[in-house]
Amino acid sequence: MTDAVEEYEAVVVGCGPGGAAAAATLARNGVETLVLERGVDAGSKNVSGGLIYAEESAPYTIDGLFPDFREEATERPVTENVIHNIAGDKVKSFDIGDLHHHDTAWADAVLRRKMDSWLAQQVHERTRETGGGLLTEVHVTGLLRERGEIVGVTTEELDPIKADLVVAADGVNSELARDAGLMDWEDPDEWFQGVKAVVDMEPGVINDRFDVAPDDGAAHLFSGDLFDGVRGGGFLYTNEDSLSIGTVFHLDSIAEEHAEPHELLDSLLTHPLMAQWLGGEYDEREYSAKLVPDSKKAAHPSPHKDRLVLVGDAAGQMQAQGPIIKGMNHAVTAGALAAEAFADARARNDPSQAGELYEKKLHDEGVMDKLRPTGYKVFGQLGELSPVDDLSNAVADSAVGRFGVRAAAGLLERAYSSPRMVSMIPDTKLPYVTLPTVIAEELGEPVTDENTVSPPDLADRIGDLTYDVGDPHIELVDNSFEASGTAVTACPVSAQDFGGGCYRDETVKTNGSEEHLVSLDTQPCVECGTCAIVADTEWEHPAGGKGVEFKQG
Amino acid sequence: MPDIDPTEHEIAELGPKIKDVDDADELRAMLALEEDGEDRVPVKTLIEDRIEKVEDEGDGEMDPETVDLADLTVADVANMVREVDDGDVLRDLLEREKAGQDRKTAKSQIESRIESVEGTEETEGEETAEVEYVPPEEKYPELDHPTNDKQWVEGTVGAEYRDMWVYCETQAGELVDVSKEMLGKARELMDTYNEDYDEDERVVAVLIGSDASDHIEDVIAYGADLVVSHEDPRLERFRHQPYTEIFCDMARAGGELAAEGREDVAWKDYHEPRYTVFPATNNGRDLSALVQGELDSGLASDCSGLYIESAMISNPAKVGTAGDKKEFERVLHMKRPDFSGFEYSTILCIDKPNRDFHPQGASVIPGSFEMPDPDYERDGEVVDYEMDLDEEWFTVEVEEYDRLSGGVDLTGNDVVVAVGRGIGDDPTQGIEQALDLVDAFDEADLGLSRGVITSSYSFDSHVEQYVTEERQIGESGQEVEPDVYIAAGISGAIQHKVGCDESDTIIAVNTNPDADIRDFSDYLIEGDLFEVLPQLTEAVEAGELGAMMEASDD
Ligand SMILES: Cc1cc2nc3c(=O)[nH]c(=O)nc-3n(C[C@H](O)[C@H](O)[C@H](O)COP(=O)(O)OP(=O)(O)OC[C@H]3O[C@@H](n4cnc5c(N)ncnc54)[C@H](O)[C@@H]3O)c2cc1C
Ligand SMILES: Cc1cc2nc3c(=O)[nH]c(=O)nc-3n(C[C@H](O)[C@H](O)[C@H](O)COP(=O)(O)OP(=O)(O)OC[C@H]3O[C@@H](n4cnc5c(N)ncnc54)[C@H](O)[C@@H]3O)c2cc1C
Ligand code: SF4
Repeated sequence: MTDAVEEYEAVVVGCGPGGAAAAATLARNGVETLVLERGVDAGSKNVSGGLIYAEESAPYTIDGLFPDFREEATERPVTENVIHNIAGDKVKSFDIGDLHHHDTAWADAVLRRKMDSWLAQQVHERTRETGGGLLTEVHVTGLLRERGEIVGVTTEELDPIKADLVVAADGVNSELARDAGLMDWEDPDEWFQGVKAVVDMEPGVINDRFDVAPDDGAAHLFSGDLFDGVRGGGFLYTNEDSLSIGTVFHLDSIAEEHAEPHELLDSLLTHPLMAQWLGGEYDEREYSAKLVPDSKKAAHPSPHKDRLVLVGDAAGQMQAQGPIIKGMNHAVTAGALAAEAFADARARNDPSQAGELYEKKLHDEGVMDKLRPTGYKVFGQLGELSPVDDLSNAVADSAVGRFGVRAAAGLLERAYSSPRMVSMIPDTKLPYVTLPTVIAEELGEPVTDENTVSPPDLADRIGDLTYDVGDPHIELVDNSFEASGTAVTACPVSAQDFGGGCYRDETVKTNGSEEHLVSLDTQPCVECGTCAIVADTEWEHPAGGKGVEFKQG
Repeated sequence: MPDIDPTEHEIAELGPKIKDVDDADELRAMLALEEDGEDRVPVKTLIEDRIEKVEDEGDGEMDPETVDLADLTVADVANMVREVDDGDVLRDLLEREKAGQDRKTAKSQIESRIESVEGTEETEGEETAEVEYVPPEEKYPELDHPTNDKQWVEGTVGAEYRDMWVYCETQAGELVDVSKEMLGKARELMDTYNEDYDEDERVVAVLIGSDASDHIEDVIAYGADLVVSHEDPRLERFRHQPYTEIFCDMARAGGELAAEGREDVAWKDYHEPRYTVFPATNNGRDLSALVQGELDSGLASDCSGLYIESAMISNPAKVGTAGDKKEFERVLHMKRPDFSGFEYSTILCIDKPNRDFHPQGASVIPGSFEMPDPDYERDGEVVDYEMDLDEEWFTVEVEEYDRLSGGVDLTGNDVVVAVGRGIGDDPTQGIEQALDLVDAFDEADLGLSRGVITSSYSFDSHVEQYVTEERQIGESGQEVEPDVYIAAGISGAIQHKVGCDESDTIIAVNTNPDADIRDFSDYLIEGDLFEVLPQLTEAVEAGELGAMMEASDD
């Protein structure tokens, strides 16, 4: 029987930055490694904002592992960093270069389709030499167990595969982490939802409008009252010949406020402040969305079990350092550390130690401290208790508070630039909405530009995406509006009064009585993962190669 | 000073470099440099690992006869066996691995070492041992049903084989595409073969079914020299017993094992086919395995490439003497993707000294070969193969069957009446009213938007049967181009539009005059479909639709 099962020394699931780093490091250590990726191409399923950071303190960086990375796979480096506090049409901008540069060797904007496909090619070449390789269009469905112990993976397309090491680098909606019982999809407050538009723009126009040299780029962040009180903010990054503009909000806030994510994105796109950069024409190449874990709450302190290790988003290792989002870099570090741990364990003739060693490395290398800062535990979580939040909101908004803001403008700018301060920011309205709004009201200047952009409606955004429609991959377990209605608004491709989305609000009359239900059509689904958390569903990824295909990402 | 100063290198470059350093002292010197210099933890681990490894290899010289394989990684095993030249020791290792962890990769390392060790003897020209043939009954006297590799069916040796036989599958009265693709490939292979070996062997097409004779002309046009067909009304659907019996009977006709009365046939004077090719379809896979088993040969299933070439073989089981190499001619090389799709194996089916492995058989993945252009001028010989079919073969009866594709075909109607989520207020009534309008036309049918099909609406049972994906119009449904397309309560999403915008006249009914469908419809009736549909039905029945359209046109 044993002969029927394919065996590799290591199987890596997912070829995002975490999987690529793990596979490259395994291959470098001569470990026979098979990489499985569900997309038609690595990157076809992935979305980032995306600035990828190389931290000076990190044991591994992406260009350390893949020397030509910056030349081949990235867009523009970030040379300018500004955060804009917005209240109505008033804006107060702070330079946050210090925060950005703290511990940063470099940071480049990336588009994931390009970045991940390049990485995948490198990974394939290197893993082939070990007797493995990269296979795309393979959906890993779960863990293979023998006598209750994890020994490999099962897939939709291939026979089960056994391995001494299973690396789950399968991203935020990790089916493996869930199968292992290490992560769950229960609490909206452990997640953010990111939504993004990639906007076409000639390189020369970008240089002019952002006042950057051809090989430089800008990063702008936005917070304040333009998002209807939903906690989160916006970003704009310059690529070679496009802009990445998006929003990232706390999922619990989106759910509570019944906010429509595409409308929040439109609020940013149509704000007068954007006029200087967007100009008159607006050509949206792609609309996309994905959940983002909040490491402060979701990062698993011990992300392994039997032969399985979790890396990157699958382990919740996505750090929101105030307005700066660091997921890719930590995925890289974790992937390489997991691989290194396996190589160490194997050298000691006990591959089963890999998980323990990996956990130890995450702590020893300081990764865990970044993901789950102690300051946040003491200060931030306290701030989230609502009486405290209400009080601080009230104080910040009071005359005294406002006076403080005016008096302390310089101090505030410095506070925004302090990595320690921002890592302790509580997840409340105060830092995201109240404070930026008060800052803008008290210190800001009105923007007089007129923004004439009219973003495409949802039907057109869906129409512009590429889908290879397969069988429905999400099953609505409870279709009552009570249980699953939040998805109608929270799903980034659904909306109230829109029949073309995934989730639709329906009133169904049966035998004289009326029922408030939702129905689901997964065809327009962009696989963001939101409804796995806010609705009562059985959520899986589509089969290999099926579903949405991002061209930008 | 060691050759490599680690502090001058990135971690990524160091990995491969350090692997080549075998001297523990040198490694320790490198470690010291790193500690004094950049002191990077992963680099130190890397060097430490290497030191551990080098020292392991150095002092602990493993004794392959006693070592505990469980302690070794596959790579360790590979390194160890490289030093072992004794076949018995290796075989003992192999047994121990099998009894222990049974790692496939470890086993293959040991096996390939055995092969290369035994191979060296051969080149040294020592005595070559004749591989003795022991019949299974003698080899396993304790078994009551001894088999060799498998039970012998024929056990023929040195018989004559000719021609390439292609099983041409039909489905629902049509010759399936892969049958044509295989014929094209067979033609090409046999033309080259006849030239290379100065032969005159043929492409033989086999047709079995209730309508076999309908396809004779086609299979000749696609490349067959000879068509052997058997037709019987009982063969309307594929059943593996009669199909296997017929195919094998044909293949054996005129040969050593021919059925009674078919020992001499004019069209065939050899034992069995040289090559057989089947489609790797559901039925073809089934048939190919049974036929090749019955003919006592092997099968390479799911192939995507075929070519005929000679092959040098050293496997003693095939050659007869250990250490010998022998060239086998006219071998069909059957290429097939391995499980992963990124490696290919080439499978050969080769005679043993005491047992023939012919026909050399393959099943072929549909679409692997190009579809040839048919040539209806070609000549071919046709054999209407006569044999009696045993009633016993038909004890399995096909009572009912379903064809998966097909279903509702909305194309070809003059009129399609389609409804969308606009029926939401009373879905059952909406479908009823649409069906009434359908009935008012001569040649019409009901279509649906995807929005309706995926809704949570509950329909009364008498209309529920209509609400299926088979009626979906659009990108992931059907594309229709009737004279008149009526879209009631459909917003006109791009994915719906592609299914209907080639229609001559599109009439939309919508409460929202600005719905997207406006952009591609000829007439838009602003109104509630529950009111408008009955009016349309009345108008059609009264022959007034044209007039009504003109009225709303201005
Ligand atoms: C809008 C937005 C903005 C962001 N901005 C930034 C930013 O500016 N900087 C930053 O560093 N991070 C940012 N992030 C976060 C960042 O994208 C993630 O943290 C990062 O991609 C995680 O990498 P990963 O390798 O763990 O997972 P992923 O990149 O998600 O890769 C997972 C891979 O696994 C594959 N996969 C998943 N399931 C299976 C399966 N079952 N079988 C086979 N394959 C599977 C997927 O197709 C994918 O290729 C942002 C995220 C979003 C959504
Ligand atoms: C990859 C992909 C493939 C798809 N493939 C298909 C496909 O093949 N076919 C398809 O149809 N869709 C397909 N879709 C779905 C498509 O995008 C739309 O969601 C769907 O067509 C909407 O259906 P609808 O027009 O019935 O519903 P809606 O968009 O909700 O429109 C309902 C319309 O009815 C009108 N209305 C409401 N009440 C009344 C009334 N009482 N009387 C008259 N009018 C009324 C409304 O004004 C509205 O215009 C696909 C989507 C994707 C992403
Ligand atoms: S259906 Fe669920 S997973 Fe798909 S896009 Fe909507 S919320 Fe995201």
